[in-house]
Amino acid sequence: MIKLFKVKEKQRELAKNANGKGPVKKQSAGELRLHKDISELNLPKTCTISFPNGKDDLMNFEITIRPDDGYYLGGTFLFSFQVSSIYPHEPPKVKCKTKVYHPNIDLEGNVCLNILREDWKPVLNINTVIYGLYHLFTEPNYEDPLNHDAAAVLRENPKMFQTNVQKAMMGGYVGQTYFQRCM
Amino acid sequence: MTAATPSRSRDLDKLLLRPGHLVGPNFEPGPELREDIKEYVKVLVVGAGGLGCELLKDLALSGFRNLDVIDMDRIEVTNLNRQFLFRLEDVGKPKAEVAAKRVMERVGGVNIMSHFCRIEDKPLDFYSDFSIIVLGLDSIEARSYINAVACSFLEYDTDDNPREETVKPMVDGGTEGFKGHARIIMPGTTPCFECTIWLFPPQVKFPLCTLAETPRTAAHCIEYAHLIKWDEVHSGKTFDPDNPEHMQWVYSEAVKRAELFGIPGVTYSLTQGVVKNIIPAIASTNAIISAACALETLKIISGCSRTLTNYLTYNGVEGLHTKVTEFVRDRECLVCGPGVLIELDTSITLRKFIDLLEGHPGLLLSRVSVTHRGKNLYMQAPPVLEEMTRSNLDVPLFDLMDKIPKDIVHVNGMAGKGDKKQSCLRKLRVVFNGIDGVTDVDMAGGA
Amino acid sequence: MAEPKTKYDRQLRIWGEQGQEALEKSSICLLNCGPTGSETLKNLVLGGVGSVTVVDGSKLELGDLGNNFMVDESSVGQSKAKTVCAFLQELNDAVKAKFIEEHPEALIESNPSFFSQFTLVVATQLVEDSMVKLDKICRDANVMLIFARSYGLTGFVRISVKEHAVIESKPDHFLDDLRLNNPWPELRRFAETIDLDVADPVVHKHTPYVIILIKMAEEWAKSHGGTLPSTREDKKEFKDLIKARMIASDEDNYKEAMEASFKVFAPRGISPSLQQIINDSSSEVNSNSSEFWVMVAALKEFIANEGGGEVPLEGSIPDMTSSTELYVTLQKIYQAKAETDFLAMEQRVKKILKRIGRDPDSISKANIKSFCKNARKVKVCRYRLIEDEFNSPVQPELQKYLTDEDYSVAVGFYILLRSADRYAANYNSFPGQFDGEMDEDISRLKTIAVALLGDLGCNGSTLTEDLINEMCRYGAAELHAVAAFVGGIASQEVIKLITKQFVPMCGTFIFNGIDHKSQLLSL
Repeated sequence: MIKLFKVKEKQRELAKNANGKGPVKKQSAGELRLHKDISELNLPKTCTISFPNGKDDLMNFEITIRPDDGYYLGGTFLFSFQVSSIYPHEPPKVKCKTKVYHPNIDLEGNVCLNILREDWKPVLNINTVIYGLYHLFTEPNYEDPLNHDAAAVLRENPKMFQTNVQKAMMGGYVGQTYFQRCM
Repeated sequence: MTAATPSRSRDLDKLLLRPGHLVGPNFEPGPELREDIKEYVKVLVVGAGGLGCELLKDLALSGFRNLDVIDMDRIEVTNLNRQFLFRLEDVGKPKAEVAAKRVMERVGGVNIMSHFCRIEDKPLDFYSDFSIIVLGLDSIEARSYINAVACSFLEYDTDDNPREETVKPMVDGGTEGFKGHARIIMPGTTPCFECTIWLFPPQVKFPLCTLAETPRTAAHCIEYAHLIKWDEVHSGKTFDPDNPEHMQWVYSEAVKRAELFGIPGVTYSLTQGVVKNIIPAIASTNAIISAACALETLKIISGCSRTLTNYLTYNGVEGLHTKVTEFVRDRECLVCGPGVLIELDTSITLRKFIDLLEGHPGLLLSRVSVTHRGKNLYMQAPPVLEEMTRSNLDVPLFDLMDKIPKDIVHVNGMAGKGDKKQSCLRKLRVVFNGIDGVTDVDMAGGA
Repeated sequence: MAEPKTKYDRQLRIWGEQGQEALEKSSICLLNCGPTGSETLKNLVLGGVGSVTVVDGSKLELGDLGNNFMVDESSVGQSKAKTVCAFLQELNDAVKAKFIEEHPEALIESNPSFFSQFTLVVATQLVEDSMVKLDKICRDANVMLIFARSYGLTGFVRISVKEHAVIESKPDHFLDDLRLNNPWPELRRFAETIDLDVADPVVHKHTPYVIILIKMAEEWAKSHGGTLPSTREDKKEFKDLIKARMIASDEDNYKEAMEASFKVFAPRGISPSLQQIINDSSSEVNSNSSEFWVMVAALKEFIANEGGGEVPLEGSIPDMTSSTELYVTLQKIYQAKAETDFLAMEQRVKKILKRIGRDPDSISKANIKSFCKNARKVKVCRYRLIEDEFNSPVQPELQKYLTDEDYSVAVGFYILLRSADRYAANYNSFPGQFDGEMDEDISRLKTIAVALLGDLGCNGSTLTEDLINEMCRYGAAELHAVAAFVGGIASQEVIKLITKQFVPMCGTFIFNGIDHKSQLLSL
């Protein structure tokens, strides 16, 4: 190797000032893979995507879900996605930005979805995650609760759960908690 | 027999001045080799922590004179059991600066430049300057970044063989407790970090609903306090793992929760361990792994011996196990692979280029999206991005690529024909015909 | 000064307060403080051993500046031991660092009792003759000894201790002690209180897999004449039966049960390696027996009596999908059984101590508890005297190494390292140590190596010319990077020996700095 370095060093001396290249944005393998995921998105018609930072920052985007069925019909729910440079080695970080009365989403926007944490695998993609989120609205489940109270109501009294969801989506109190209108 | 005259390089000279049979392909023993290493070789050490301190010492005592070290961290008390260049009075100072100073004080003639900053803060030119990059890191992200930088200098000839003068070798080490690894990355020849990223197991993440509803272990209680309770109580305030008050809060919340559920084992130390994902670290393992890395660096540069091919694992938990594995590179790797060579005229529009890929016998790519240096030139989907990028279709690709005569472009789409189509992501080496001033040397930083 | 606990945080997470205490009580002696010795000691001083004593009679030369970090230019011509000792002290003021300016070879000859004051001696860069003598001295004085040598791109590390018993071997992967195929009455009764076919889906998906497997194993046994699944077909069928009990596809507890079903098929009773320890003649204890062997003797009785063929229960369970309540209850059932087993062991230990005429309370509760918890994982390492290995290496192993391609370079270096010492004894220098007649040195080394192979009963075996040539090229050079590697290994083994945690290496580690295919030779 040494000879090469010697040659290169000498050439470098000669080439100084020849071209002044500034820092170049490096595209990580994670970005490339995400690029593929995004360009292959096949969203259900109830979901839309937006890129708050423009077309060249895919690592931070938002998904809006408008359920067409179930308890949450008529609501609009916003999720933020943050994707790391080592995606898909790590799952995207997802938060629900709309305060929602939901057994699997807490009031801080944490989402209990297995593929976002313990069951994430690099073969999964952004599309799978979005479908997973969508299903949380059509089929909320009380077996893996993050909002304990909402889960208990869904389990014991689905009618009341329905009423509570409506109250929350219209904007109002469920128990002590105030929800912004999201219809 | 004559006794040698006293010299600092008494021991190293045996390896560098004498011919041998089990040596590297271009080994040319002699005093000139020794002097050339001093004069022409520049080594970058990434990280001035447990491995970095050892690496600087080992390299300084292996005949290298020009070293640089980059690290964004400051010295902490918990570093002192292994980062031997630091003293208690150094706590709070930048690691890179103190490490460089201490080694220069001890080893005469060595010059170490320190860089107290993030690796992303440096321009590509900074990295292109080094003969070899040695990594003493503890994060996958940082390894992946440096790997991408080093591989970006790599160029292939028309037969898809790496051009030797563009190869930026890397030597990487890592440790955890009594275990560690050392590896050589010769971009284009041995697997790069990205080819074998699966070697690094992803971090274990507990299901949030387990934390919220059915905690069973002390770690569950701690993560509940850290990930759920913190946000609930401190709306808007971000948790800072380096703030002792924040850590204390998480600890006491975890204790409360553990008591509530009758779960034993929450301690302050465990809280720190879980929240900061602390990896246990000791001096001896760092010494072993760094020494292997420094030795391989010397061998790669000088050719004074054959090298490791290409991955060494060490495990001292039960007895002592070392194992060498020859991993193979992924020829399709987006980071280090050759990609598909495409020669174009400067007048070709992006639309034409996309059509061309569909007919290209090696690609047969339809529904193509194109990205270049972080700029999305065209996206097939989703509609919002398609709309934003559509206007590029009628612009010459050369212009969209900032008139760079040859560069890497990544595309994805559906490959193959008929029913056998499958989605894929490909690397392309685009070369524009008839552009002057393209020489091998000044392209080093342009890939 | 910051609280030492904080400074040692990252290592306390590995060997705990007890391991740290053992280190802090230890006194280490280093022979020769070239880079191999200095680097070994550096790692130990950082870790916080009690004291270090550096023994070296040489003066610092210019050449030492090129391979040793624990020296500097201003000390050239002064005592190497003094210089190294001062720089080591800078690394950790909690360590007492001393030096003795004397040649280790002379000390070995003139003052063998000197070594008995230490917990452990690290002997670096010694030639064969001194190694053999020191080994006998340390063996007689019951002082742990470890040899380390760096030589060009090779070197070795060899432990020499009569016997090293490990209770806390802390293996990375070890089967949990769950007794799924052999539940004790309390566990079985608890399992009986739980209905796997419970209608509530939340309860169904939070029944821990331990319970699922115990119940299903029992069901299987009932319908199969008391036997458990043994054939491949049985095992598959058993798994299918578990799967059939799922009421939803997302029941992680049932998935865990299927994955863990092999734990039901695992053989009952104790492992062959533990059987070997129990059968060891040392378990016939007498008044001089160590605590470890007294506890092994008690273990032997326990297994034959109240253990019913099993060791004391470890008492912990892995995390598994479960409701908090069931998990905590299960945990308590395992802990209670472990406590009962411990009490039985404690009685046996006391009785044995009394029988051999020792204080029945002389082994602490904490030690007996730790032994019970780790009973399945205890290890005993024994090391031959260096002289025995040198004179009569284990023949089948040596023959295997000489013909096995994976070992050829390592065993070649082993022979050549020993040949280099014979060479030095004959010619007063190492092969290739000085510039000049390299060809003559090569042919002399070859002659010696062939003779040594003959002495070891390996007539006809040869070493490659390339390797012999390589050895002469090294000329006994001590490269810093090699020394740091070899010293790193040596210090790691020292830590394992002193903390009595993890398992030290058994055999002679030969470093191969060419392609890193290093090997551990059991000779």
